[in-house]
Amino acid sequence: MTNTLPFDPFNMWKTFYEQTDANWTGVIQEMLKKESFSEGMGETLNHYLQAQKLMNEKTETFLKSVNLPTRSEVADVASLVINVESKLEALEDGLEEEINQLKIAISILDKKIDKLLSTFEGTEK
Amino acid sequence: MVYSITNQLDSLLDTLPDDIKVNYRRYKRVMDVITKEADPLVGQTPKEVIWTKNIAKLYRYQPQSKKTNRVPILMIYALINKPYILDLTPGNSLIEYLTNLGHDVYLLDWGTPGYEDRHLKFDHYILDYIPKAVKKVLKTSEASEISLLGYCMGGTMTTIFAALHPQLPIRNIVLLTTPIDFSDAGLYTKWLDERYYNVDKLVDTLGLIPAEMIDFGNKLLNPIGSYYGPYVSLVDRVDNEKFVTNWKLMQKWLADGIPFTGEAYRQWIGELYQQNKLINDDLYIRGQRVELRKITANLLNIAGKKDVIVNPKQAEPLNAKVSSEHKAFHIVDTGHVSVVTGSKAINDIHPMIEKWLTQNSN
Repeated sequence: MTNTLPFDPFNMWKTFYEQTDANWTGVIQEMLKKESFSEGMGETLNHYLQAQKLMNEKTETFLKSVNLPTRSEVADVASLVINVESKLEALEDGLEEEINQLKIAISILDKKIDKLLSTFEGTEK
Repeated sequence: MVYSITNQLDSLLDTLPDDIKVNYRRYKRVMDVITKEADPLVGQTPKEVIWTKNIAKLYRYQPQSKKTNRVPILMIYALINKPYILDLTPGNSLIEYLTNLGHDVYLLDWGTPGYEDRHLKFDHYILDYIPKAVKKVLKTSEASEISLLGYCMGGTMTTIFAALHPQLPIRNIVLLTTPIDFSDAGLYTKWLDERYYNVDKLVDTLGLIPAEMIDFGNKLLNPIGSYYGPYVSLVDRVDNEKFVTNWKLMQKWLADGIPFTGEAYRQWIGELYQQNKLINDDLYIRGQRVELRKITANLLNIAGKKDVIVNPKQAEPLNAKVSSEHKAFHIVDTGHVSVVTGSKAINDIHPMIEKWLTQNSN
């Protein structure tokens, strides 16, 4: 029995890919550049969006009719949590700023006390 | 049962010609890679979260390692795809490379937005998130200046941020494949023509733009190469373990997209791709005009010669607009992703960025 095959399926596949790529890439690129392609893609997208919008509306109506929250309502709850987080962050920033100001004020006060003390010490002598 | 059949098949193989054995083993290995093997680990450089806001996180990398460069680096990534491309795997990571050489590296990870985040605009990201992140970086590093590194859309956001904050101590800006001039964005300019592409209807209907839609647009630039090319390469080089590991890493990242918040997408497509406002100083962020001449930081602007997503013509015009004294524009022999990952990036681009940052931080 021979130990080799008359063809290698993987190499055949690779060659097929390379030849397809070489022969078709140019054609495909030319097609992709055409204004009619952009127009067609825009039209397809519009049809898809129209269908999606209809589906969104129907889903929302159905969910409301069975007393279930819609995606927007769930997202609104998440937004409330995010708002609380933002407020906490603002408080944290404010507190940090206050502490920094306080540190500066204490440092100035510290220097003034030192100055007073040295003045007193000078007077006592 | 399946196991015993597989074993029987394996023993049957011994009786078959060599070519069949080789091809069967190759086929089996390819199938294992695609269907059985676990996803590779990514983003392994040690890091800690130093700040969060909503879903965004600010990471500091290798906080325990010695920092010899006094100017910290804040990396700002795009709103789409995940930022671990900057820290893909040990030995193939820009972040690891920079931190190992003593740079204090931070990364702003935007996170994965949910439907509740659909109203987030560039205004929020650029005026509410980035300034806070910069403040946190400066405070954590106890530094007086900062370097910003923006990649792709993250570079555009970095540029807008720097133009709107001339008072901040931004010492250096590194931009990788960053679109600034959208007058000729290749096929995107044709596809996103406002006569045909109704961005408002898209955003109003979907709220959040699915990652698959963005990915489809990118793959459509070269459909045969994008959809079949990776599998042909895998079959061809499946015996090379290093290649297989890199292949898995790249496929994981490419399939790991994140949705685009609707309002930011409306600005990205409408005001940039369709109206090209940024390069013409006509872009307003929360009422503030973005004037690129207000950027004075040192600028290193890198574009990829083979980049089909952001061609070099989109990146280059920035250098003529900014007021920076030290500015450089380099076109490197890479594509959009290989500018940060892969052998060319490891051997040439990472060292180039590191050297430039070091030279401009002392």
